[in-house]
Amino acid sequence: MRKLVVVETKLLIREPGALFSLLIPLFILVVFGSTIQPGDTVLLPMAVAIAVGLVALYMVPTTLATYRERGVLRRLAATPVRPGNLLLVQLVLQLVLAVTACALLVAVAGTVLGARLPARVGAVVLVFALGTAAMFAIGLLIAAAAPNGRAANGIGVLLYFPMAYLAGLMQPVDQMPDIVARVGEYTPLGAFGQSLRDVWAGAAPGPLPLGVMAAYAVVVSVAAARLFRWE
Amino acid sequence: MAVIEVTGLRKRYADLTVLDGVSFSVDEGEIFGILGPNGTGKTTVVECVEGLRRPDEGTIRVLGLDPIKDGRALRERIGVQLQQTMLPDTIKVREALDLYASFYADPRDWRELLVEWGLADKRDARFGKLSGGQKQRLFIALALVGKPQVAFLDELTTGLDPQARRATWELIKRVRASGVTVVLVSHFMDEVEELCDRVAILDRGRVVAIDTPGGLVGDEHRMRFTLMGDDEVELGGVPGVTGVSRTGRRMTVTGTGDFATAVTAHLARHHVLVSELRIDKRTLEDAFTALTGRSFD
Repeated sequence: MRKLVVVETKLLIREPGALFSLLIPLFILVVFGSTIQPGDTVLLPMAVAIAVGLVALYMVPTTLATYRERGVLRRLAATPVRPGNLLLVQLVLQLVLAVTACALLVAVAGTVLGARLPARVGAVVLVFALGTAAMFAIGLLIAAAAPNGRAANGIGVLLYFPMAYLAGLMQPVDQMPDIVARVGEYTPLGAFGQSLRDVWAGAAPGPLPLGVMAAYAVVVSVAAARLFRWE
Repeated sequence: MAVIEVTGLRKRYADLTVLDGVSFSVDEGEIFGILGPNGTGKTTVVECVEGLRRPDEGTIRVLGLDPIKDGRALRERIGVQLQQTMLPDTIKVREALDLYASFYADPRDWRELLVEWGLADKRDARFGKLSGGQKQRLFIALALVGKPQVAFLDELTTGLDPQARRATWELIKRVRASGVTVVLVSHFMDEVEELCDRVAILDRGRVVAIDTPGGLVGDEHRMRFTLMGDDEVELGGVPGVTGVSRTGRRMTVTGTGDFATAVTAHLARHHVLVSELRIDKRTLEDAFTALTGRSFD
C-alpha cells in the first residue's frame, strides 16, 4: 500500500493537468486580485470553487476512466492486491491536490493581496468538505459512465463551464438574470460558491446550500458506485 | 501432477453462450496452449481460471485452490499477463516492477528481472516510450515478479513484428525452463506448434481436441503433381500411401512416413513424367479444419 501511494503520487505530479489545476485558479486570483478592495470577500471564494471544480470534473474522471480503459484496474485484480485500493489511493491524492490548490490560494490571497480570511474555521472546513464531496461525486459519476478516458475528459470539461457559469464563477451572481441565479443555487458548484461567500463574509452558511451539497454528495455517489465497472 | 483442473465450465452472457462445457487439465512444468480463432472464448476460459470471472457452472482447481473462494491465496502463486492491458504512460520501468513486487508476500528481486529480461538500460524509461517488444518483456517480468508457480500469457505476441515474436518465444521457453508451468493463449498456429507441449483446441465454446501439436497434426502429408501425358498410373500399392485422387491430369496423393520418396521412385520406374510437384506438410491449421469443418480464420 505504501509503494502504491508513492508511485501514484509520482504519477500525479507528472500529470500536466495537476499543475494546471493548481495554476489556473491562482492565475485568476492574481489577475483579478489587483482590482479588489482590502477585505474582499468574493474573489477568494470564487478561486477556491474554481480549484475544487477543476480537480473534481477534470482530474478525477479522466484519471479513473483512463485507468479502467487501459486495463490498469483489471491487471491489479490479477494480483493479491484489490483494485479498490488503487481507487481509494487516487481519491485521497486528488483530495490532497484540491486541498493543496486551495491552501495555495488562501496563502497568496492572505499575504500578498490582503484579502479577507474567514474567522470561522469550523464552518470553512464543513463547507469545503461538503462542497468537495458533492463535486467529487459528480466526477466519479462521469468516471463510472464514460466509455474511456478521452470521453471522461470531454464530459468533465463540457460540464464544467455551464456549472461554473450557473455558480457565478464567470459573472457575479447579482449581475445574472434572477431565474439563472435561482437555478444556480441548486447546482453543487453554485451551492458551494454561495456557502463559501457566506462564511467569508462572516455569516453562518445557509442551510439550503449545505443541504443541496449533501444531497448531491450522497445521491450522486450512490449512482456512481452502482454504475461503476471495473473493466 | 495436474496443477490446473477444469471440469464442465459454462459461461453465458445474456443470450450468448461463450463457454459450453470446457474441461481440461494442465500438468506441472508443461507449456499448455489454448488455441482457437478470435472470439471462441479462450480469454474467458483463462479469466475464469485466474479468478477474474465467475463461471456459471463447472469446477476449477488451480494448485488445489478454488479461484473464487481462495482468490487472494491463489493470486500470490500465479502470474498473469492479460490481453490488452497497459500501464500508465508516465510510470517508469523500475517503478512498475518495484510496485508490483510490493503486492506479493515473497517477491523476486526486481533488479534481477530487469537484467534477465533485457530491460536494464530501460530502467528509467517511461512505459509510454517503450517499443512493443520492450512492453511485452516488461509484462512478462511483471507476471513473474511474484515467483509464480503458474504463469498465464494471453496473446503475448499479437502486434509484434516477426523478429520480436521469435525473441519472445525464446523467452517463454526460458520461463518454463525455470520450472514455471505456462498456460499460453494464442490464435497463432505457428506459435503453438513451436512452444506447446500440449494444446487444447477451442471452437465455439467447446474443446474439440487436446493433444500434442504433433499428435493433432498427425504424420499424414500430401503431395500433388500434374501428369505430362495421359498415362494410367496405379499408386495405391506404393508403401505409405493412404489415398489417391485424380482430376484430369492433376493428382493428389496422401500418405505417411517416407511415402513421397516411394511415389517418385515408382513414377520414375514406370517412366511417368510429372510436373508441378509439391509436397504439403499438414499443419495445425489443417487439423483445425478437419476437427471443426471450417477454416481457422
